Amino acid sequence: MKRIHIEIALGTLFIIASSVILILMASEEPARLARYETQQLASQIEFGAAVYEVNCTSCHGSHAQGVPGKAPCLRCPDLFEGRIAEVGWQGSLEDYIVSVVTTGRQISTRPGLYQGEGQGPPVMPTWSDKFGGPLRDDQIRAVAAFIMNYEEWAANPEAVPTPLFVVDSNDPIALGRVAMVQYGCTGCHTIQGLSEAVTGPVMNGIATRAGTIAGYASAEDYIRASILNPNEYLVEGFNEGVMPQNFGEIIPAADLDNIVAYLLTLTDN
Amino acid sequence: MISSLRQRLSQIPRGAELRKRIFEMIDERVRIVTAGLSIKELRAVLRGDPPTEKPNPRYKVITTSFVAHLRPRYYPQGATWFTHTFRLGWFTTFFFVVELITGLVLMIYYIPFPDQAYGSILEIESNVFLGELFRDLHRLGAEAMVLFTWLHLFRTYFTGSYKGQRTFTWLTGVALLAITAWLSFTGYLLTWDQLGYWAITVGTSMTDSGPVVGPALNIIMRGAPDIGTGGLLRFYLNHVVLFPLIAILIISIHYYKVSREHGISMPAVIEEGEVSEDKKKEANRRIDLIPDLLTHEIFLVAVGILALLVIVYFDLFNSPLETPANPQVTPLDTKAPWYFWWLQGLLKIEPAKILENLLNPIVTRFGMAPLQLGLLLDSKFIMGLVVPPVVVGILFAIPYIDRTPARLARKRPFAIAWGILWIFIILALSYMGLPEFGIETPAATRVIQDLAPEEGLGILRETPYEELLPGIYTVGETSPEDLCAKDFAYTDHATGKQVIGCPHLVEVFEQYSSGLLAAEAEGKLPELHAILLIEDYGPDLRRVEMEVSWLDAESDEVKTYVKHYFLHRDRAREH
Repeated sequence: MKRIHIEIALGTLFIIASSVILILMASEEPARLARYETQQLASQIEFGAAVYEVNCTSCHGSHAQGVPGKAPCLRCPDLFEGRIAEVGWQGSLEDYIVSVVTTGRQISTRPGLYQGEGQGPPVMPTWSDKFGGPLRDDQIRAVAAFIMNYEEWAANPEAVPTPLFVVDSNDPIALGRVAMVQYGCTGCHTIQGLSEAVTGPVMNGIATRAGTIAGYASAEDYIRASILNPNEYLVEGFNEGVMPQNFGEIIPAADLDNIVAYLLTLTDN
Repeated sequence: MISSLRQRLSQIPRGAELRKRIFEMIDERVRIVTAGLSIKELRAVLRGDPPTEKPNPRYKVITTSFVAHLRPRYYPQGATWFTHTFRLGWFTTFFFVVELITGLVLMIYYIPFPDQAYGSILEIESNVFLGELFRDLHRLGAEAMVLFTWLHLFRTYFTGSYKGQRTFTWLTGVALLAITAWLSFTGYLLTWDQLGYWAITVGTSMTDSGPVVGPALNIIMRGAPDIGTGGLLRFYLNHVVLFPLIAILIISIHYYKVSREHGISMPAVIEEGEVSEDKKKEANRRIDLIPDLLTHEIFLVAVGILALLVIVYFDLFNSPLETPANPQVTPLDTKAPWYFWWLQGLLKIEPAKILENLLNPIVTRFGMAPLQLGLLLDSKFIMGLVVPPVVVGILFAIPYIDRTPARLARKRPFAIAWGILWIFIILALSYMGLPEFGIETPAATRVIQDLAPEEGLGILRETPYEELLPGIYTVGETSPEDLCAKDFAYTDHATGKQVIGCPHLVEVFEQYSSGLLAAEAEGKLPELHAILLIEDYGPDLRRVEMEVSWLDAESDEVKTYVKHYFLHRDRAREH
C-alpha cells in the first residue's frame, strides 16, 4: 500500500469520527443550552445580590426585608401578589422592577406607609447610568433577577429559614448589630462600615455622647429612651416625629437589649 | 414532414452507441469543471493511480484553473519531509481558515456595542444551536494559530530557511506574526468581560507613556480616554475587517513566494551535500500537487478538524467568559493572554533600579551622591515602547544580519545558540509575566483570592450548594469535623451523586485556616481572628462572608479585610 492510500483511508476514518462527534454534540445541544440558561440565571442572581448588597441595603434592608417607614420589603407577598395591579403596570413584575430601579421614584406611591410625599429629594434615587445614576443596565437587570428569585419565599413564608441571620448567639454585640439592620435602624443612621444615611444622627460616637446628656442616669438610659420615645430628646438639627414612634411594640425586649449593648460599643474612638 | 422526423429519429444512436455518446458529453463537462481532468483521470487521481493520458493532464489544471494556479506543480520530496517542516506553516494557514469560517458565524450574532456585547455572547452560549462550539473553536483556533506562527518562525530560523532568496519571505512572515498578535489582541476585547476589558486597558496604556504622539495614539486606539463605545467599535472593525484583509494579502504574498518563486526550502543536509547520491536523488524526486500533495492536505484537514473537535468535545478547552466589563473595578491578578505574558514580564523590569543597584556602589566609593535614574529612565516607556519594537526590529533584520550562506546547524553554532537563548528569554519573561511573580499581595487578600478568585472558579465556587451549611466557623476554634453533623449526607442535585459528609466545605475551611495560620506564624497577621460565615440570602441563594482581622504592626490598629460571595444552587461549578 502506498502512502497516499494510507492517507485516504485514515482521512476518511477521521472525517467519519469528526462527524460522529458533531452528531453527538448536536444531540446533546438542546440539553446544554437549557443547562447553560439555568446556570446563567443563577450567576445573574448572584451578581444581582452583590449589586443589591452594595447599593440597596441601606433602604430596603440587609436581606430585602424592608425598613419600616422608609422603603418596602422586597421579598414579601405584597410585591409579588398585587403590586403591579395596584399601580396599574401593564408589563411583567420583573419589567416593573427594572423600570423603578432605572428611573427611581420622585414621590412615594404609598405616602401613608413610606416617606416621600412630594417636595424634596426623590424617595428612590435614579439608578441607571443613563440618567446620572451609578448602575449599568446589566446590573439593574441582575438586581431585578435577584428580587424575582424571592418569589418562592413570598409564596410560602414557611420556606424562609430561621434564623435567617447567622450570628454568634452568645454575643449580644453581634446580635445587636444584626438587629440594627433587621429593624431598619441603618436605613436612617450612618454607622461606619455598616450603613450610610442622613435622615437621623450618625451613630458612631453615640456611646460617648450619650453619657453627657443631662436628665439621664446613664448612657444606657439615654439610648434606651431614645429608641422607645424618640421625641423625648431631639439632637440638634433633627425634627420631631421623623423616627417611628412604635419601636417599643416592634422590637422584642431581648433584641432591644442587644441593640443597646451594640450601640454602647460605638464610642468616639 | 413526419417521414423526415422519423428519419432523424432513426439517426439517434441506440444501445452501446448511445451510452458512449452520453458518457462523452458528461466527460466533456467534467473536463471543463475540473480544468482538464476526464472522469477516468479523476478516478485515477482519487485512487492514487498514475495519469491515464499523455501529456499528464494533471499539470494542465495548474495552468487553466485560477485556484490551482496559486499552487506549485510539484515539490521535491525532500521539502515535504515531515521532520523538516512539521507542517507548521500549513497548520497556521489551516487555523486562519478556521478563524475566518467560525468568525463569520459568530459575526451573525455578535453586537459590537458595550450595552449589548456581553449579552450577545451569553446569547451565543445559551440560545444559538452549537453556539458554544463555534465560540470555542474560534478561541481555540486563535490560540493555536498564535502558537503555530511562533513554532513556524523558530523552525524556519533553526533550519536556516530564511537565507538567500528567501529573505523577503522571512520579512512577510514576521509581519504575519505581528498581524496574528494584533488580531488576537483586538479579539480579546470583544467579549466585553472583565478579562478582556482590563487586558486591553493595560495593553493600550503602554502607548500612553510614549513621547509626543503617545497619548494621542492611546486616544486613537481607545476612541476616548477610557475604552467605551468608540473603542469597542474600533477594535471590532480592526478585528473583523481591516486586519483580516491585511492578513489575507500578506499571507498571499508569503505563500506565493513559497509556492511559485523559490519553493519550500530543501533540508540543509540535502542542499549542502554530505549525503549519498541515492538519497539526494530520492530527495529531488517530484511529488506532484495532484494527487499526492492534495490528498495529503485533505488528510491534514481531516486531522486538524478531528483534533479541534476532540479538544472541544472532551472539554479540554473552554473559552473563558468572566463577569461583565466594569470600568470602576480592576480585578485582582489581571492577566494578559498567555502569548503576551512575555510582554507583561518585560513591564515588570525596572531598568533604572537595575542600573542604580549596579552603579551606586561604585559611585558612592568615589564619594559622590547615589544616582537617581528614575526620572531619566521611565520603565514603562523603555520596557513597553522601546524594547518590543527593538525586538521586532531584530526579528525583521535577522536575514540581513546573518548573511552567511551556511544552513547546516553545526556550521552556524552561534546562530543556533542565539536562537535557543531567545527561547529561554521568552520563557523566562513569560514566567515573570504571571500575576504571582513579583507582586506582593497582602496575606489575607492572597489567601481569600486563592480560595475564591475574583474572576474564575476556585474551590469555594466548586462547592455544591448543599454543603454550604449556614453557620459561623472560626479559624483556630472550629474543628473541621464539626463543620457538618456526623450523619450529614446529601444528593448533589447537579450530578445526582450521593455524598456523605461535607468534603468540599471541609477543604475550603482547611485551606482558609491553613493559609491564614501560616501567615500568622510568619508574623504577617499577628493576633489573627478570622471567620467563615454562611447564611441564607434568598431561595437557593447563600451568602458566604470571610472576615479576617489582625493587628497591623505599623499603625498598631486592628485591620479588617472582608469579602462577600453569593452562591446560587444552580451555578456552574465547573468550566
